[in-house]
Amino acid sequence: MNALVSDSWMRRALLGLLVLVVLAPAFGWASGVVGYAEPLENAAEATGAADAAAPIAPGLLPDYAVPGLDAPLGTLVSAAVGTGVTLAVALGAGRLLER
Amino acid sequence: MHIPDGFLDPLIAGLFWVASGVAIGIAVRRARDKLGDERTPLLGVVAAGIFAAQMLNWPIPGGTSAHFVGGAFAGILLGPSLGVLAMTAVVTIQALVFGDGGIIALGGNLFAMAVVDVLVGYAIFRALRGVHETGAAFVAGWGAITVSALAVGLGVGLSSAFAYELGLTVSIMVVGHAVLGLIEGAITAAVYGFVANARPDLVLGRFDDDSLSPEVGL
Repeated sequence: MNALVSDSWMRRALLGLLVLVVLAPAFGWASGVVGYAEPLENAAEATGAADAAAPIAPGLLPDYAVPGLDAPLGTLVSAAVGTGVTLAVALGAGRLLER
Repeated sequence: MHIPDGFLDPLIAGLFWVASGVAIGIAVRRARDKLGDERTPLLGVVAAGIFAAQMLNWPIPGGTSAHFVGGAFAGILLGPSLGVLAMTAVVTIQALVFGDGGIIALGGNLFAMAVVDVLVGYAIFRALRGVHETGAAFVAGWGAITVSALAVGLGVGLSSAFAYELGLTVSIMVVGHAVLGLIEGAITAAVYGFVANARPDLVLGRFDDDSLSPEVGL
């Protein structure tokens, strides 16, 4: 991993990831202001399926929030954790598959 | 775009699982000889970047919002097999850690975002890049997300929760994402243009599958 971080494109890429993570709370706030709805939710409304959603596992950080933390901070922590976990899982899977 | 649990009939959810399982299995097998000291870190960074970018909901006045999905981008940058792997990591973590998309519905979400979005985006890019590379990336991002929306529209439209209103679900999904897809296409083209300009050797989708560029030293 140290060798990875010393590569210049990798360092810039990690910096780019950090910028995206820091931006997440601002976007979360802005989309809340306009009222968040995706076409799938609209389709559910139109066909009476809106109440059919029945999560069987809410996840550790449901809806990208940290239970007990306010929205901007919870979103920031979720973005950081999710980005880090995704990086680790994809890197780890890639290394395992290398021959 | 993420389907929650409760939306899909068991049969539809199962078919989605089979289809995405086959596609991801093929991608895993084909990815083996494409990974290496240069490309494995790229796989990790692209997957993490797409996760982070999906958290940025672009607010659209009038009460809607859209986020970049990134399957086409992954397919263009990583090629089809590594692109499918990157998106599989993103969509699975969204479901398991954040409850974004259901567990039973994960097969459907993988099919739409990790298989269709990646493969259709890659195919469109390959077909059009001779005409105009950045333009091809735009059409790939836009077209692929629209076809993915069609897949989701079909899946929910064939399910009892949506009263089998297939025409309605397909039209809402396809029209909605065809409009929002303009943002997907624009981001795909912009980031593609940036990467292709800075490090053309990293854009695996530009190379033929059987003659990938040699690993590039740093």
